[in-house]
Amino acid sequence: MMRLPPWARSGRVILGLSLVLIVVLCALFAPWLAPNDPNRQDLLGTLMPPAWAPGGSASWPLGTDSLGRCILSRLIYGARVALTVAVIASTGAMVLGALLAYAAGYLGGWVDWLIGRIVDIWLSFPPVILALILMVGLGSGIQNVILAIILVDWTRFCRVLRAEVMVVSQRDYVAAARLLGFSHMRTVIREVAPATFPLLITLLALEMGIAVVVEAILSFVGMSVGSDTPAWGQMIADARQTVYQAPWNVIFPVGAIFVVVFAFNILGDGLRRTLDARLTQTERS
Amino acid sequence: MKRRSLLQMIALGTAGAKIFGGAAPAFAQDGRSVTIAWPSDVPSWDPNQRFQPDAQPLFKSVFDQPIEQDAELNFVPSLFTEWELADDGLSLSFSIRDDVVFHDGTPMTMEDIRFTFYERVASGENLDIANTWRNLEDIEILSPTSGVFVFNAPTPTAPQWLAFMGSFVVPKAYMEEVGVEGFRERPIGTGPYKIVEYQMNSRIVFERHEEYWGEMPAIQRVTVNIVRDPSARVAAVQSGQAHLTINVPVREVERLGAMPQLEGEINPITRVILLQLRHDMAFDDQNVRLAVHHAINKQALSQAFYGGAAVPLSVVAPPGTPGYVEGFEFPYDLDRARELLAASGFSPDNPVRFTMATTNGHFPSDYDIARALVQMWGEVGIEVTLDVIEYARYFELNRGNQLPEATLYSWDNATGDPEIFTGYLLNPQMPFSAWKAEQPGDRVLELFAEPDYETRIAGYQQVNRDATEMGATMPLLQSVQTLVRDGGLNYRRYGNGWVLPASMSWS
Amino acid sequence: MTATIAKLVMRRFLVAIPTLLFVSILLFVVLRILPVDPAAMSVPPNATLAEIERMREQMGLHLPIPQQYLIWLGDLLRGDFGTSTHFRTGVAGLVATTLPATIELAVMGMILGGGLGLCGGLLIFYFRDTRTEAALDVGTIAVLSLPDFLWALFLMLVFGVVWQILPFTGRLSPDLDRPVVTGFLLLDTLITGQPKTFVNALYHMILPAMALGISAAPPIIRVLRSSLLDTYQEDFIHQARLRGLSERRILLRHGLKNAILPTLSLMGVQFGFLFGGTLLVEIIFSYPGMGNLMVDAIRNTDLPIIQTVGLTYCVMVLLVSITVDSLYLILNPKLRAR
Repeated sequence: MMRLPPWARSGRVILGLSLVLIVVLCALFAPWLAPNDPNRQDLLGTLMPPAWAPGGSASWPLGTDSLGRCILSRLIYGARVALTVAVIASTGAMVLGALLAYAAGYLGGWVDWLIGRIVDIWLSFPPVILALILMVGLGSGIQNVILAIILVDWTRFCRVLRAEVMVVSQRDYVAAARLLGFSHMRTVIREVAPATFPLLITLLALEMGIAVVVEAILSFVGMSVGSDTPAWGQMIADARQTVYQAPWNVIFPVGAIFVVVFAFNILGDGLRRTLDARLTQTERS
Repeated sequence: MKRRSLLQMIALGTAGAKIFGGAAPAFAQDGRSVTIAWPSDVPSWDPNQRFQPDAQPLFKSVFDQPIEQDAELNFVPSLFTEWELADDGLSLSFSIRDDVVFHDGTPMTMEDIRFTFYERVASGENLDIANTWRNLEDIEILSPTSGVFVFNAPTPTAPQWLAFMGSFVVPKAYMEEVGVEGFRERPIGTGPYKIVEYQMNSRIVFERHEEYWGEMPAIQRVTVNIVRDPSARVAAVQSGQAHLTINVPVREVERLGAMPQLEGEINPITRVILLQLRHDMAFDDQNVRLAVHHAINKQALSQAFYGGAAVPLSVVAPPGTPGYVEGFEFPYDLDRARELLAASGFSPDNPVRFTMATTNGHFPSDYDIARALVQMWGEVGIEVTLDVIEYARYFELNRGNQLPEATLYSWDNATGDPEIFTGYLLNPQMPFSAWKAEQPGDRVLELFAEPDYETRIAGYQQVNRDATEMGATMPLLQSVQTLVRDGGLNYRRYGNGWVLPASMSWS
Repeated sequence: MTATIAKLVMRRFLVAIPTLLFVSILLFVVLRILPVDPAAMSVPPNATLAEIERMREQMGLHLPIPQQYLIWLGDLLRGDFGTSTHFRTGVAGLVATTLPATIELAVMGMILGGGLGLCGGLLIFYFRDTRTEAALDVGTIAVLSLPDFLWALFLMLVFGVVWQILPFTGRLSPDLDRPVVTGFLLLDTLITGQPKTFVNALYHMILPAMALGISAAPPIIRVLRSSLLDTYQEDFIHQARLRGLSERRILLRHGLKNAILPTLSLMGVQFGFLFGGTLLVEIIFSYPGMGNLMVDAIRNTDLPIIQTVGLTYCVMVLLVSITVDSLYLILNPKLRAR
């Protein structure tokens, strides 16, 4: 009898994956799903209410923003930026953090010491502050947002993974591999790394949620992606100016961020439970 | 059981909040005090140090200017009882009042005038007024109440500047006693209000200066809360935590104004929104510049972002100021724009490309206007890249010749004088102008030395018109100031947007 | 025994010094990448090129970067934090006036967050192995999925604008005088004996502190819950039950006592994050702390302020983590014995 692995039977994983899937589909098929061009302005039709509210129009199902652009279309296109940042930045942070963690946990000695000190230095910055300062240095733009997230958040992976690698490295089969004359590189890739994958995947899911939030924060303080790219953070920043007139303009992108972050969080939580990844302090932040 | 007590706690907590009146109208209005939500703080309490238009009303509460402007922007006596610019523009004789005292009770004398405008500047302190008065050679004291400003180059706008930014008289003796740092911490002036409390970026409390020489303010105590966020300012007036605020979104003014206890105003002021241009790169071609200008629908910008209250401009001077050119209009004309582009060999398939810099949040709707412009230009096949810069970097970029072809810019000139509009914005020797070509620069430079008022004004009107026609500047709109106030609070409406606590009263 | 603890705490302090040193290098180098000329920023707009050049030399900007760094560090150690290019006044004074406000807000946020976290953790633990637990747990994840600055906006709308029961701008109502003794408003109002002002200041702090607290609570909830579950696997809980102690007593005397340590150390980590969170929350509530100063400085590209404020945030985080580690040492009998 075919049995699904435990993680695929977890309600949380299924919920998380389905939500993520929906957002991914939105991002991929944005040009077909969006009712309007997301950048098309209509200065005579600014701040239209949603279609169901009095004065709303079916052409703009969720209304328009202060430049008369279609909110729904911008939300759908905004998923692209959110997911791009989430995927690239999180993967980048994971790769950087994991490499250093493998080096530190497996090699030990001065390498471990050095990497440990670097992590300490990073941890003494509140992440928001470090990201802001990096953005001041790098300048705005989506690639810099991604770079800043990688440079800030690699420690989240490194910290947790290092401990795990140390435990794994002590195991018999790793010692056996070394005795068989495998190189360090091969031992890490073939023996150590696979044992840490459950943890890595879990952390990655959580980090994606964080990356979405960081992107929104950087937009919010005006260090966003360019003006021609619809992004949720930018939408909140814009809509904040008219929050009393058009509260829905704030509510929709906030809702979108919430759904995506919730999807990644609940997915990560489900994975953590079913993959038995050791996680305590890293659940957030 | 457990859960019930928790609910009770919550209920109690909410009730408690109501009893203590946490947010309920800050305090009962007693006719003698006023609370204002203001968008920005003073750069420092040294009024000569940094120019900042929004800080002007705050400075004017504590300090006095030699010359004052009335609500219609006429220049009227203040600390100076009379003044006269020499025909050659090389000197300005003046007399001062003899009944003015600083907040510490010491009388204001000629020494203080000389100290403020001459000695401080000559000492090499890092002051913005040092640049205003760089042609000042000396202030000669003729008697205890009269003297002469002596210039080494014609300075026809000296009287305007004495009523403009940074020209506030500070006490010589006190400043020398406590030092500049000490002065910034405990500033005193001759103005209608003294500072009784100051918390940077948060709160200023003024109390009436009882020995004030001028008209005694009706309000005894003024609290200025610095509230940077426009939506928080809206919330503050709406909830009664503030009685007056400015620079809130136009749509909010309309909404709040409809409420029974509030009054909303959208007032045109002496501030212009324009594009500062380069004369080279993609803008080397006059056809391109004019096409760019013809493609701008200023009425639509006004409608979308200023509720239609901002007046579309064709010259860099608002209506009612001396430099305004009556009857001249630069039309919104897409066909003309396309023709001009075609004449230079451009088309939607071979588009003109340039970059425009804009601030985001430096003045209301700046970023929205920039994005709307990009869309308008797209209509005629002009592709524009938007580059967001901080306002503070404009001068640095300009100095390094690094500004892009166009920059969205806002310029405030409380005096209304064309020299401080066109003169500054197109003078190639000044840091404000991105346009470095000989024309109209040379003519502007000539006008700087023109002592005769009528000739000077006529000259500026001509330059204004020519500059627009040759595409050296693109004025967009006359800016508006939005204001929301408690319906019972009166204030004097100045044409330049000053909102002075000293002019307020409760009805 | 106390001596051992003191020694360990000292060691933590000593380790923090090189960390801070590297933090300062990092800050300095990152901000020097920026294509901005601090000299040009700190002169009036119509200064001449010669004046800018003079300013550049005065500020030491013509020197190589390592040398500039050493000069900056030397000044820092002498207590000279530089001069703001925008305000043209000492940075130390600017930070000194805003830091207490931020500390006060962060502490209030942490108290609320800690309180919510403990209550929530106990609540979920109480419902362990029921459907309610799963629902509460998903609820915790939901709360976690809204970042603090969005909570701030939300709370401001609901409590400040719609219900109008709590103030949401600044630190004090406009009609009240602000006592200045230590710079910590709550403390100052108590010292000078002004209960009315104290209560008012407290009310102004509720919403921003709530925004910080709510988003800091979920991780605390989850760690407390899992530590409690771990603790309840231990023999002494079983023995306590056999001795006939009430469940409530077991929870308080044995369960919580042992589960609180990991929770405490997490709260230290959370406090660090919360300090960063104050930045956006301060902006939304116009709260005059370091966050507002920082964002202002970023807007004006005011490097001396950005550097100093950045460093100050790090010092605060390090201090918190040292304090938490020390508390951990004092409270943990196992470590003490070693």
